[in-house]
Amino acid sequence: MMELLSMPFIRNIFLAGILVALGLAPWSVYVVLRRIVFSGAAVAEIASAAVALAVLFQLAPFPIALTMTVASFIGLSRLSGSARLPPETMVGMLYAGGSAASVLLIAKAPRGEADILNILFGNILTVPASMLWGLAAVFAVLSLLQFFAAKEFLISAYDPDMGKALGIRVDAWNMVFYAALGVAVAVSIRAVGALMTFTMLVAPGAAALCLTERLGRAFVVATALGVLSAIAGVFLSYQYDLPTGSTIVAVLSALFFASFVAGRLRAAA
Amino acid sequence: MATELLHARGLSVGYGRHAVLHGVDFAIEQGDFLGVMGPNGAGKTTLLKTLLGLLAPLAGTIESSSAKNGGKPLFGYVPQRESLDLHFPLTALEVALMGRFGRLGPWRRPGKEDLRIARACLSQTGMDAHAHRAYRKLSGGQKQRVLIARALASEPEILLLDEPTNGMDVHSERAIMELLAELQSKKSATIVFVTHLKATIEEYAHRVALITYDGKLLAGEKKKMLDPKVLSQAYKPK
Repeated sequence: MMELLSMPFIRNIFLAGILVALGLAPWSVYVVLRRIVFSGAAVAEIASAAVALAVLFQLAPFPIALTMTVASFIGLSRLSGSARLPPETMVGMLYAGGSAASVLLIAKAPRGEADILNILFGNILTVPASMLWGLAAVFAVLSLLQFFAAKEFLISAYDPDMGKALGIRVDAWNMVFYAALGVAVAVSIRAVGALMTFTMLVAPGAAALCLTERLGRAFVVATALGVLSAIAGVFLSYQYDLPTGSTIVAVLSALFFASFVAGRLRAAA
Repeated sequence: MATELLHARGLSVGYGRHAVLHGVDFAIEQGDFLGVMGPNGAGKTTLLKTLLGLLAPLAGTIESSSAKNGGKPLFGYVPQRESLDLHFPLTALEVALMGRFGRLGPWRRPGKEDLRIARACLSQTGMDAHAHRAYRKLSGGQKQRVLIARALASEPEILLLDEPTNGMDVHSERAIMELLAELQSKKSATIVFVTHLKATIEEYAHRVALITYDGKLLAGEKKKMLDPKVLSQAYKPK
């Protein structure tokens, strides 16, 4: 392991994985509890379409992806429900529409497809040191937000009517929540890609909620599982010459299913 | 004469442009034990949500003498317990602690004093021994006691309860209503509860607000409001 860490290239991959885990895993608890798991996937597709559009018109991709991610999360939180359709309908259509738009726009883009896919989906193997600093700074700010707005985020998700009756501006805090989540997703997709971002936004929280009966502990367990998966995934991918992002996703998935079984067994005991 | 905490005048409540109740005039007084009843779908919960400020009135005013909360009375709200998501892994104490959130202001986390108050409220509702148990694993009656403790933790002027005994067995229902009666008599709590159970109103409420099938609200002393003639007028089928 120490031999691995002595290589700057590998050290950056470890750091990127750990930073994304530290940044996203705590949000995953809320993502699961708020039942917005597939919103993350749909928003990632919308962001991808926005990046493809930016590439087509030779604009800077990241600011457009960031704006679209935040706007999509906020939009989904406010517009998804209607009297005639359940909320997941909008999520499903945004996912399908975003995916199709990405493919169509990439087909017409002047740059090479591999180049664009790298911009679209990131690659944990190519994260530069400067991006690591950016990830650390953004996630540090978002973690502070989560810590100091914990009660607002909790009551807005758990019992918004009670929150409003207590004088808490639930709608405004929901906007803050979704905007922060959008920023976290956008910077993570840029660094490590959509699949790892999506999995890190769901699996650690879902696994933690299977393992503990306390909300506070769920955040700690989710973060620990996220970091453990990132380290194990990078190590295994190096050891067995596997794609790093997918290996981390596989470890996260395995941990989730193991936690699910452990939770069921404990409940049955 | 008791102090008026709230007075609704010419109030219309509903969703969008559709008024469910109209021309509502009634007052809530200090120490009131007011039962709100009426046919299913008549607008009991809609009225309650309007009083709480969750829905804007379609017409009329809600006046208050309270100086504590920007001219609005401080409400302790006890929702229908089925409305809460049991996926959240919260203890009874954590749920009760939420009652303190409104008093803290933005960005501040609950401290030792808030914990002490939440524990005291759990104790008041007979749930102190269950403080560290998972809320979702409690019985219906125990959950209701925790939610009442949460409402009390906000140190409210008016306690508003939406169908507090819905879906409970007779024993649990009685225990919850006895708890409310005790809070009202010993702590001078002002209590407004919504129910569709006439027997509960008959036994515990001091005053009754009766919502009629045609969207009006009649409020008065229990004996007068539960008169069979008045009730048959209120429940007359459309």
